[in-house]
Amino acid sequence: MPVDTKRIRGPEESQSPLLFLSPGKVPEASSRQGVRGNGDARPVFARCGLISQAKGSAYLEAGNTKIICSVYGPREAERKDETDMKTGRLVCDFRLAPFSCLKRGAWIQGSEERDLSQTLQESLQPGVCLHRYPRSQIEVNVMVLENDGSILAHAVTCASMALADGGIEMYDVVLGCTLGQSGSTCLVDPSYSEEYGSWQEGYGEDQGCVTVALLPNLNQVSGLTADGEMREDILSDAVRSCMDGCHKLYPVLQQALMRAVKKKAPPPAK
Amino acid sequence: MSPMKLCVPVHAGERLCSTEDCIPGTGTYLRHGCIFASLAGYVLRKNEGEELPVISVVRETEAQLLPDVGAIVTCKVMSINPRFAKVHILYVGSTPLKDRFRGTIRREDVRATEKDKVETYKSFRPGDIVLAKVISLGDVQSNYLLTTAENELGVVVAHSEAGAQMVPISWCEHAERHSVARTHAKEFRKVARVQPEYLQA
Repeated sequence: MPVDTKRIRGPEESQSPLLFLSPGKVPEASSRQGVRGNGDARPVFARCGLISQAKGSAYLEAGNTKIICSVYGPREAERKDETDMKTGRLVCDFRLAPFSCLKRGAWIQGSEERDLSQTLQESLQPGVCLHRYPRSQIEVNVMVLENDGSILAHAVTCASMALADGGIEMYDVVLGCTLGQSGSTCLVDPSYSEEYGSWQEGYGEDQGCVTVALLPNLNQVSGLTADGEMREDILSDAVRSCMDGCHKLYPVLQQALMRAVKKKAPPPAK
Repeated sequence: MSPMKLCVPVHAGERLCSTEDCIPGTGTYLRHGCIFASLAGYVLRKNEGEELPVISVVRETEAQLLPDVGAIVTCKVMSINPRFAKVHILYVGSTPLKDRFRGTIRREDVRATEKDKVETYKSFRPGDIVLAKVISLGDVQSNYLLTTAENELGVVVAHSEAGAQMVPISWCEHAERHSVARTHAKEFRKVARVQPEYLQA
Protein backbone atom coordinates (compact mmCIF):
# COMPACT_ATOMS: atom_id res chain seq x y z
CA MET A 1 0.00 0.00 0.00
CA PRO A 2 1.86 3.14 -1.07
CA VAL A 3 2.08 5.60 1.78
CA ASP A 4 2.01 9.34 1.19
CA THR A 5 4.91 10.54 3.31
CA LYS A 6 4.62 14.19 2.43
CA ARG A 7 1.24 14.71 3.97
CA ILE A 8 1.10 15.74 7.61
CA ARG A 9 -1.31 13.54 9.47
CA GLY A 10 -3.09 14.77 12.55
CA PRO A 11 -2.17 13.58 16.04
CA GLU A 12 -2.74 9.93 16.88
CA GLU A 13 -6.11 10.43 18.55
CA SER A 14 -7.65 12.34 15.64
CA GLN A 15 -10.35 10.96 13.40
CA SER A 16 -11.42 11.96 9.95
CA PRO A 17 -14.30 14.46 9.93
CA LEU A 18 -15.97 12.40 7.21
CA LEU A 19 -16.92 9.82 9.83
CA PHE A 20 -19.22 12.33 11.44
CA LEU A 21 -21.05 13.28 8.28
CA SER A 22 -24.65 12.25 8.45
CA PRO A 23 -25.45 10.06 5.47
CA GLY A 24 -27.32 12.23 3.04
CA LYS A 25 -30.88 11.46 2.09
CA VAL A 26 -30.64 8.33 -0.01
CA PRO A 27 -32.75 8.97 -3.09
CA GLU A 28 -35.16 6.10 -3.48
CA ALA A 29 -33.98 3.84 -6.25
CA SER A 30 -36.77 5.03 -8.47
CA SER A 31 -36.97 7.22 -11.48
CA ARG A 32 -35.23 10.51 -11.47
CA GLN A 33 -37.06 13.69 -10.76
CA GLY A 34 -36.62 16.78 -12.74
CA VAL A 35 -35.77 17.42 -16.32
CA ARG A 36 -33.68 14.36 -16.85
CA GLY A 37 -35.49 11.11 -17.46
CA ASN A 38 -34.28 7.59 -16.83
CA GLY A 39 -32.99 7.09 -20.34
CA ASP A 40 -31.44 10.50 -20.88
CA ALA A 41 -27.77 11.18 -20.66
CA ARG A 42 -26.49 14.41 -19.21
CA PRO A 43 -25.80 17.22 -21.67
CA VAL A 44 -22.16 17.19 -22.67
CA PHE A 45 -19.77 20.08 -23.20
CA ALA A 46 -16.72 19.15 -25.26
CA ARG A 47 -13.81 21.19 -26.57
CA CYS A 48 -10.55 20.26 -28.24
CA GLY A 49 -7.16 21.80 -28.40
CA LEU A 50 -6.74 23.45 -25.04
CA ILE A 51 -3.35 22.09 -23.99
CA SER A 52 -0.82 23.80 -26.19
CA GLN A 53 2.15 21.59 -25.38
CA ALA A 54 0.42 18.34 -26.19
CA LYS A 55 -0.09 17.02 -29.68
CA GLY A 56 -3.83 16.77 -29.12
CA SER A 57 -6.09 17.45 -26.18
CA ALA A 58 -9.74 17.49 -25.21
CA TYR A 59 -11.92 18.57 -22.31
CA LEU A 60 -15.27 17.05 -21.55
CA GLU A 61 -17.95 17.98 -19.04
CA ALA A 62 -21.05 15.93 -18.40
CA GLY A 63 -23.07 17.34 -15.54
CA ASN A 64 -20.44 17.73 -12.87
CA THR A 65 -18.02 15.15 -14.22
CA LYS A 66 -15.02 16.95 -15.69
CA ILE A 67 -12.36 15.11 -17.60
CA ILE A 68 -9.32 16.36 -19.46
CA CYS A 69 -7.18 14.32 -21.80
CA SER A 70 -3.89 14.92 -23.59
CA VAL A 71 -2.24 12.91 -26.34
CA TYR A 72 1.47 12.76 -27.15
CA GLY A 73 3.04 11.00 -30.05
CA PRO A 74 3.93 9.15 -32.07
CA ARG A 75 7.13 8.87 -30.07
CA GLU A 76 9.87 6.35 -30.23
CA ALA A 77 8.79 3.35 -28.21
CA GLU A 78 10.71 3.19 -24.95
CA ARG A 79 10.59 -0.44 -24.04
CA LYS A 80 11.66 -2.75 -26.77
CA ASP A 81 10.59 -6.01 -25.27
CA GLU A 82 7.89 -6.79 -27.78
CA THR A 83 8.55 -9.07 -30.67
CA ASP A 84 6.33 -7.36 -33.19
CA MET A 85 7.57 -3.90 -34.08
CA LYS A 86 5.43 -3.54 -37.15
CA THR A 87 2.61 -1.81 -35.33
CA GLY A 88 2.64 0.98 -32.86
CA ARG A 89 1.62 0.87 -29.24
CA LEU A 90 -1.02 2.76 -27.36
CA VAL A 91 -0.10 3.64 -23.79
CA CYS A 92 -2.94 4.90 -21.62
CA ASP A 93 -2.69 6.55 -18.26
CA PHE A 94 -5.86 7.16 -16.29
CA ARG A 95 -5.58 9.35 -13.22
CA LEU A 96 -8.08 10.63 -10.74
CA ALA A 97 -7.01 13.95 -9.34
CA PRO A 98 -6.78 13.85 -5.52
CA PHE A 99 -9.50 16.52 -5.30
CA SER A 100 -11.89 14.73 -7.63
CA CYS A 101 -13.76 12.58 -5.14
CA LEU A 102 -15.33 13.31 -1.80
CA LYS A 103 -12.51 11.57 -0.03
CA ARG A 104 -9.05 12.82 -0.87
CA GLY A 105 -7.19 10.40 -3.10
CA ALA A 106 -3.47 9.75 -3.36
CA TRP A 107 -1.21 11.06 -6.09
CA ILE A 108 0.20 7.61 -6.59
CA GLN A 109 -1.81 5.52 -8.97
CA GLY A 110 -3.95 3.03 -7.12
CA SER A 111 -5.07 -0.35 -8.33
CA GLU A 112 -8.45 0.91 -9.44
CA GLU A 113 -6.81 3.51 -11.66
CA ARG A 114 -4.50 0.91 -13.15
CA ASP A 115 -7.51 -1.23 -13.90
CA LEU A 116 -9.30 1.67 -15.56
CA SER A 117 -6.17 2.48 -17.60
CA GLN A 118 -6.09 -1.06 -18.90
CA THR A 119 -9.77 -0.95 -19.82
CA LEU A 120 -9.30 2.39 -21.51
CA GLN A 121 -6.44 1.04 -23.55
CA GLU A 122 -8.42 -2.00 -24.62
CA SER A 123 -11.35 0.16 -25.66
CA LEU A 124 -9.31 2.65 -27.65
CA GLN A 125 -7.00 0.22 -29.38
CA PRO A 126 -9.46 -1.09 -31.99
CA GLY A 127 -10.18 2.46 -33.06
CA VAL A 128 -6.64 3.63 -33.77
CA CYS A 129 -4.76 2.74 -36.98
CA LEU A 130 -1.67 1.52 -35.17
CA HIS A 131 -0.23 -0.19 -38.23
CA ARG A 132 0.53 3.23 -39.68
CA TYR A 133 2.91 4.02 -36.83
CA PRO A 134 5.48 1.20 -36.66
CA ARG A 135 8.00 1.26 -33.85
CA SER A 136 6.23 4.17 -32.17
CA GLN A 137 4.04 4.67 -29.20
CA ILE A 138 1.17 7.04 -28.67
CA GLU A 139 0.60 8.23 -25.11
CA VAL A 140 -2.85 9.08 -23.85
CA ASN A 141 -3.09 10.75 -20.44
CA VAL A 142 -6.53 11.14 -18.91
CA MET A 143 -7.09 13.16 -15.76
CA VAL A 144 -10.44 13.26 -14.00
CA LEU A 145 -10.89 16.65 -12.38
CA GLU A 146 -14.22 15.95 -10.77
CA ASN A 147 -15.81 12.55 -10.39
CA ASP A 148 -19.57 12.67 -10.64
CA GLY A 149 -20.22 9.22 -12.03
CA SER A 150 -19.59 7.30 -15.26
CA ILE A 151 -15.98 8.44 -15.53
CA LEU A 152 -14.79 5.53 -17.64
CA ALA A 153 -17.33 6.12 -20.38
CA HIS A 154 -16.65 9.84 -20.57
CA ALA A 155 -12.92 9.21 -20.40
CA VAL A 156 -13.14 6.98 -23.46
CA THR A 157 -15.03 9.67 -25.34
CA CYS A 158 -12.63 12.38 -24.23
CA ALA A 159 -9.58 10.31 -25.15
CA SER A 160 -10.81 9.58 -28.66
CA MET A 161 -11.55 13.28 -29.18
CA ALA A 162 -8.02 14.10 -28.08
CA LEU A 163 -6.62 11.46 -30.45
CA ALA A 164 -8.59 12.92 -33.34
CA ASP A 165 -7.46 16.42 -32.38
CA GLY A 166 -3.86 15.26 -32.35
CA GLY A 167 -4.05 14.02 -35.90
CA ILE A 168 -3.65 10.34 -35.03
CA GLU A 169 -5.21 8.20 -37.74
CA MET A 170 -8.26 6.35 -36.49
CA TYR A 171 -10.80 4.05 -37.99
CA ASP A 172 -13.53 5.72 -36.00
CA VAL A 173 -14.04 7.71 -32.82
CA VAL A 174 -14.80 5.62 -29.76
CA LEU A 175 -17.73 6.69 -27.62
CA GLY A 176 -18.61 5.48 -24.16
CA CYS A 177 -21.83 5.25 -22.22
CA THR A 178 -22.70 3.89 -18.82
CA LEU A 179 -25.89 2.46 -17.46
CA GLY A 180 -26.50 1.90 -13.77
CA GLN A 181 -28.98 -0.55 -12.38
CA SER A 182 -30.40 -0.30 -8.93
CA GLY A 183 -33.15 -2.75 -8.12
CA SER A 184 -35.36 -2.71 -11.14
CA THR A 185 -34.64 0.78 -12.40
CA CYS A 186 -32.01 1.50 -14.99
CA LEU A 187 -30.45 4.91 -15.28
CA VAL A 188 -28.39 5.99 -18.25
CA ASP A 189 -25.30 8.05 -17.43
CA PRO A 190 -25.63 7.87 -13.67
CA SER A 191 -24.15 10.53 -11.47
CA TYR A 192 -21.97 9.60 -8.52
CA SER A 193 -24.80 9.39 -6.01
CA GLU A 194 -26.94 7.36 -8.43
CA GLU A 195 -24.08 4.99 -9.21
CA TYR A 196 -23.09 4.27 -5.67
CA GLY A 197 -26.03 5.45 -3.61
CA SER A 198 -24.87 6.26 -0.15
CA TRP A 199 -22.44 3.38 -0.20
CA GLN A 200 -19.04 4.80 -0.71
CA GLU A 201 -17.28 1.50 -0.33
CA GLY A 202 -18.86 -0.43 -3.12
CA TYR A 203 -22.06 -1.70 -4.56
CA GLY A 204 -24.92 -2.89 -2.49
CA GLU A 205 -27.12 -5.81 -3.26
CA ASP A 206 -28.70 -5.86 -6.67
CA GLN A 207 -26.78 -2.81 -7.76
CA GLY A 208 -24.48 -2.66 -10.70
CA CYS A 209 -23.45 -0.76 -13.72
CA VAL A 210 -22.29 -1.55 -17.22
CA THR A 211 -20.09 0.57 -19.47
CA VAL A 212 -19.99 0.14 -23.24
CA ALA A 213 -17.44 1.60 -25.65
CA LEU A 214 -18.74 1.81 -29.19
CA LEU A 215 -17.43 2.76 -32.64
CA PRO A 216 -20.57 4.41 -34.06
CA ASN A 217 -19.93 4.40 -37.79
CA LEU A 218 -18.71 0.84 -37.86
CA ASN A 219 -21.21 -0.16 -35.17
CA GLN A 220 -18.65 -2.22 -33.30
CA VAL A 221 -18.35 -2.56 -29.56
CA SER A 222 -14.76 -2.21 -28.49
CA GLY A 223 -15.14 -2.32 -24.72
CA LEU A 224 -17.63 -3.78 -22.30
CA THR A 225 -17.24 -3.55 -18.54
CA ALA A 226 -19.74 -4.56 -15.92
CA ASP A 227 -19.48 -4.01 -12.20
CA GLY A 228 -21.52 -5.09 -9.26
CA GLU A 229 -24.57 -7.31 -9.55
CA MET A 230 -26.67 -7.13 -12.65
CA ARG A 231 -29.66 -9.18 -13.56
CA GLU A 232 -29.38 -11.22 -16.75
CA ASP A 233 -32.63 -10.03 -18.26
CA ILE A 234 -31.63 -6.45 -17.79
CA LEU A 235 -28.07 -6.91 -19.00
CA SER A 236 -28.70 -7.34 -22.72
CA ASP A 237 -31.19 -4.47 -22.73
CA ALA A 238 -28.65 -2.43 -20.82
CA VAL A 239 -26.02 -2.94 -23.49
CA ARG A 240 -28.48 -1.90 -26.16
CA SER A 241 -29.46 1.22 -24.22
CA CYS A 242 -25.81 2.12 -23.84
CA MET A 243 -25.29 1.77 -27.58
CA ASP A 244 -28.25 4.08 -28.18
CA GLY A 245 -26.77 6.52 -25.70
CA CYS A 246 -23.52 6.49 -27.66
CA HIS A 247 -25.30 7.19 -30.91
CA LYS A 248 -27.05 10.13 -29.31
CA LEU A 249 -23.74 11.47 -28.10
CA TYR A 250 -22.16 11.26 -31.53
CA PRO A 251 -23.45 14.58 -32.99
CA VAL A 252 -22.01 16.51 -30.05
CA LEU A 253 -18.63 15.01 -30.72
CA GLN A 254 -18.88 15.74 -34.41
CA GLN A 255 -19.55 19.37 -33.72
CA ALA A 256 -16.69 19.68 -31.28
CA LEU A 257 -14.24 18.12 -33.75
CA MET A 258 -15.44 20.28 -36.65
CA ARG A 259 -15.00 23.33 -34.52
CA ALA A 260 -11.49 22.30 -33.57
CA VAL A 261 -10.54 21.63 -37.20
CA LYS A 262 -11.89 24.99 -38.32
CA LYS A 263 -10.17 26.78 -35.49
CA LYS A 264 -6.81 25.24 -36.21
CA ALA A 265 -6.67 26.28 -39.80
CA PRO A 266 -8.93 27.83 -42.39
CA PRO A 267 -9.84 25.60 -45.30
CA PRO A 268 -7.00 25.29 -47.80
CA ALA A 269 -7.35 27.60 -50.77
CA LYS A 270 -8.43 26.27 -54.15
CA MET B 1 -1.72 22.60 -61.35
CA SER B 2 -4.30 19.87 -61.19
CA PRO B 3 -7.68 21.30 -60.21
CA MET B 4 -8.71 20.76 -56.61
CA LYS B 5 -12.17 21.09 -55.25
CA LEU B 6 -13.00 22.94 -52.09
CA CYS B 7 -13.27 20.89 -49.02
CA VAL B 8 -15.48 20.06 -46.16
CA PRO B 9 -14.22 19.32 -42.67
CA VAL B 10 -14.66 15.72 -41.68
CA HIS B 11 -13.70 13.60 -38.76
CA ALA B 12 -12.41 10.08 -38.43
CA GLY B 13 -14.81 7.36 -39.40
CA GLU B 14 -16.99 9.42 -41.66
CA ARG B 15 -17.88 7.77 -44.90
CA LEU B 16 -16.60 9.82 -47.83
CA CYS B 17 -17.60 7.96 -50.96
CA SER B 18 -17.43 4.56 -52.58
CA THR B 19 -14.43 3.14 -54.38
CA GLU B 20 -16.16 3.56 -57.71
CA ASP B 21 -16.00 7.32 -57.44
CA CYS B 22 -12.53 7.96 -56.10
CA ILE B 23 -9.17 6.47 -55.24
CA PRO B 24 -8.22 6.63 -51.56
CA GLY B 25 -5.32 8.94 -50.70
CA THR B 26 -3.64 9.88 -47.44
CA GLY B 27 -5.79 10.11 -44.35
CA THR B 28 -8.35 7.60 -45.60
CA TYR B 29 -8.94 3.89 -45.46
CA LEU B 30 -10.95 1.34 -47.38
CA ARG B 31 -13.61 -0.80 -45.90
CA HIS B 32 -16.42 -2.81 -47.50
CA GLY B 33 -15.93 -1.05 -50.80
CA CYS B 34 -16.28 2.43 -49.31
CA ILE B 35 -13.72 5.05 -48.47
CA PHE B 36 -13.75 6.37 -44.91
CA ALA B 37 -11.79 9.24 -43.41
CA SER B 38 -9.19 8.36 -40.81
CA LEU B 39 -8.23 11.91 -39.84
CA ALA B 40 -10.12 14.95 -38.64
CA GLY B 41 -9.42 17.52 -41.31
CA TYR B 42 -10.44 18.79 -44.70
CA VAL B 43 -11.38 16.63 -47.64
CA LEU B 44 -9.42 17.27 -50.80
CA ARG B 45 -10.45 15.91 -54.11
CA LYS B 46 -7.74 16.08 -56.71
CA ASN B 47 -7.92 15.21 -60.36
CA GLU B 48 -4.56 13.72 -61.07
CA GLY B 49 -5.25 13.04 -64.68
CA GLU B 50 -6.00 9.38 -64.15
CA GLU B 51 -9.47 8.00 -64.47
CA LEU B 52 -10.65 8.63 -60.95
CA PRO B 53 -9.93 11.59 -58.68
CA VAL B 54 -7.83 10.99 -55.59
CA ILE B 55 -9.60 11.79 -52.33
CA SER B 56 -7.54 12.54 -49.25
CA VAL B 57 -7.97 14.17 -45.87
CA VAL B 58 -5.43 16.77 -44.83
CA ARG B 59 -4.77 18.71 -41.69
CA GLU B 60 -2.96 22.02 -41.84
CA THR B 61 -0.12 20.82 -39.65
CA GLU B 62 1.77 18.50 -41.95
CA ALA B 63 1.07 14.85 -41.21
CA GLN B 64 3.43 13.24 -38.80
CA LEU B 65 6.04 11.59 -40.93
CA LEU B 66 7.77 8.56 -39.62
CA PRO B 67 11.08 7.48 -41.10
CA ASP B 68 10.21 4.90 -43.68
CA VAL B 69 12.45 2.49 -45.59
CA GLY B 70 14.16 4.33 -48.43
CA ALA B 71 13.61 7.80 -47.01
CA ILE B 72 16.45 10.32 -46.92
CA VAL B 73 16.84 11.60 -43.38
CA THR B 74 18.96 14.26 -41.76
CA CYS B 75 20.53 13.18 -38.51
CA LYS B 76 23.04 14.26 -35.93
CA VAL B 77 25.80 11.97 -34.76
CA MET B 78 25.60 11.33 -31.03
CA SER B 79 28.34 8.81 -30.41
CA ILE B 80 30.77 6.71 -32.37
CA ASN B 81 32.16 3.27 -31.84
CA PRO B 82 34.58 1.20 -33.91
CA ARG B 83 31.62 -0.81 -35.16
CA PHE B 84 28.88 1.77 -35.69
CA ALA B 85 27.78 5.33 -35.11
CA LYS B 86 24.65 6.25 -33.18
CA VAL B 87 22.60 9.14 -34.50
CA HIS B 88 19.45 11.06 -33.70
CA ILE B 89 17.13 11.49 -36.66
CA LEU B 90 16.04 15.12 -36.85
CA TYR B 91 14.38 15.58 -40.25
CA VAL B 92 12.65 13.20 -42.62
CA GLY B 93 13.03 14.68 -46.07
CA SER B 94 12.40 18.33 -45.34
CA THR B 95 9.93 17.87 -42.50
CA PRO B 96 11.30 18.35 -38.99
CA LEU B 97 10.34 15.72 -36.48
CA LYS B 98 8.85 16.74 -33.17
CA ASP B 99 10.40 13.83 -31.31
CA ARG B 100 13.80 12.39 -31.99
CA PHE B 101 14.15 8.91 -33.28
CA ARG B 102 17.34 7.01 -32.81
CA GLY B 103 19.29 5.42 -35.65
CA THR B 104 22.46 3.45 -36.21
CA ILE B 105 24.96 3.61 -39.08
CA ARG B 106 26.96 0.43 -39.15
CA ARG B 107 30.57 0.34 -40.17
CA GLU B 108 29.83 -1.62 -43.32
CA ASP B 109 27.12 0.86 -44.38
CA VAL B 110 29.32 3.93 -44.36
CA ARG B 111 30.82 3.48 -47.82
CA ALA B 112 29.97 1.48 -50.88
CA THR B 113 33.52 0.36 -51.62
CA GLU B 114 36.24 -1.04 -49.36
CA LYS B 115 33.77 -1.66 -46.59
CA ASP B 116 36.20 -3.49 -44.37
CA LYS B 117 38.75 -0.70 -44.35
CA VAL B 118 36.35 1.86 -42.95
CA GLU B 119 37.22 3.54 -39.70
CA THR B 120 34.28 5.29 -38.09
CA TYR B 121 36.65 7.76 -36.47
CA LYS B 122 37.65 8.93 -39.91
CA SER B 123 34.09 9.04 -41.24
CA PHE B 124 32.02 10.70 -38.53
CA ARG B 125 32.52 12.59 -35.34
CA PRO B 126 29.97 13.40 -32.65
CA GLY B 127 28.10 16.57 -33.54
CA ASP B 128 28.21 16.11 -37.32
CA ILE B 129 25.07 16.56 -39.36
CA VAL B 130 24.71 13.64 -41.73
CA LEU B 131 22.41 12.85 -44.65
CA ALA B 132 21.53 9.18 -44.65
CA LYS B 133 19.00 6.76 -46.05
CA VAL B 134 16.89 4.37 -44.03
CA ILE B 135 17.52 0.77 -45.02
CA SER B 136 15.54 -0.99 -42.35
CA LEU B 137 13.24 -0.31 -39.47
CA GLY B 138 15.39 -2.59 -37.39
CA ASP B 139 14.29 -5.42 -35.17
CA VAL B 140 13.38 -5.44 -31.51
CA GLN B 141 16.80 -4.62 -30.14
CA SER B 142 18.21 -2.17 -32.62
CA ASN B 143 17.19 1.27 -33.80
CA TYR B 144 16.56 2.40 -37.35
CA LEU B 145 19.35 1.20 -39.62
CA LEU B 146 20.78 3.88 -41.88
CA THR B 147 23.32 3.94 -44.65
CA THR B 148 25.55 6.59 -46.18
CA ALA B 149 26.91 4.36 -48.94
CA GLU B 150 26.16 6.72 -51.77
CA ASN B 151 27.76 9.80 -53.21
CA GLU B 152 24.99 12.12 -52.11
CA LEU B 153 24.93 10.80 -48.57
CA GLY B 154 27.34 11.57 -45.78
CA VAL B 155 28.47 14.48 -43.67
CA VAL B 156 27.16 17.89 -44.67
CA VAL B 157 28.05 20.06 -41.68
CA ALA B 158 30.98 19.40 -39.41
CA HIS B 159 33.06 21.20 -36.85
CA SER B 160 36.74 20.62 -36.32
CA GLU B 161 38.31 19.62 -33.04
CA ALA B 162 39.07 23.27 -32.43
CA GLY B 163 35.37 24.05 -32.82
CA ALA B 164 35.37 25.97 -36.09
CA GLN B 165 33.15 25.25 -39.08
CA MET B 166 34.72 23.07 -41.77
CA VAL B 167 34.20 23.02 -45.52
CA PRO B 168 34.60 20.03 -47.82
CA ILE B 169 37.67 20.03 -49.99
CA SER B 170 37.41 16.70 -51.64
CA TRP B 171 34.89 13.97 -51.97
CA CYS B 172 36.72 11.29 -53.78
CA GLU B 173 36.19 7.90 -52.34
CA HIS B 174 39.41 7.29 -50.55
CA ALA B 175 40.47 10.40 -48.71
CA GLU B 176 37.55 12.54 -47.76
CA ARG B 177 38.64 15.69 -46.10
CA HIS B 178 37.45 18.86 -44.58
CA SER B 179 39.56 21.90 -43.89
CA VAL B 180 39.07 24.68 -41.43
CA ALA B 181 38.92 28.24 -42.70
CA ARG B 182 41.27 29.71 -40.20
CA THR B 183 43.59 27.02 -39.00
CA HIS B 184 43.53 25.06 -42.26
CA ALA B 185 43.59 21.80 -40.36
CA LYS B 186 42.36 18.85 -42.35
CA GLU B 187 40.19 16.15 -40.91
CA PHE B 188 38.69 13.06 -42.41
CA ARG B 189 35.00 12.65 -42.94
CA LYS B 190 32.75 10.71 -45.28
CA VAL B 191 31.66 13.77 -47.22
CA ALA B 192 28.34 14.09 -49.04
CA ARG B 193 28.32 15.35 -52.60
CA VAL B 194 25.48 17.83 -52.24
CA GLN B 195 23.74 18.71 -55.49
CA PRO B 196 24.70 22.22 -56.66
CA GLU B 197 21.13 23.45 -56.61
CA TYR B 198 20.87 22.82 -52.88
CA LEU B 199 23.96 24.80 -52.06
CA GLN B 200 23.31 28.43 -51.27
CA ALA B 201 25.26 30.97 -53.24
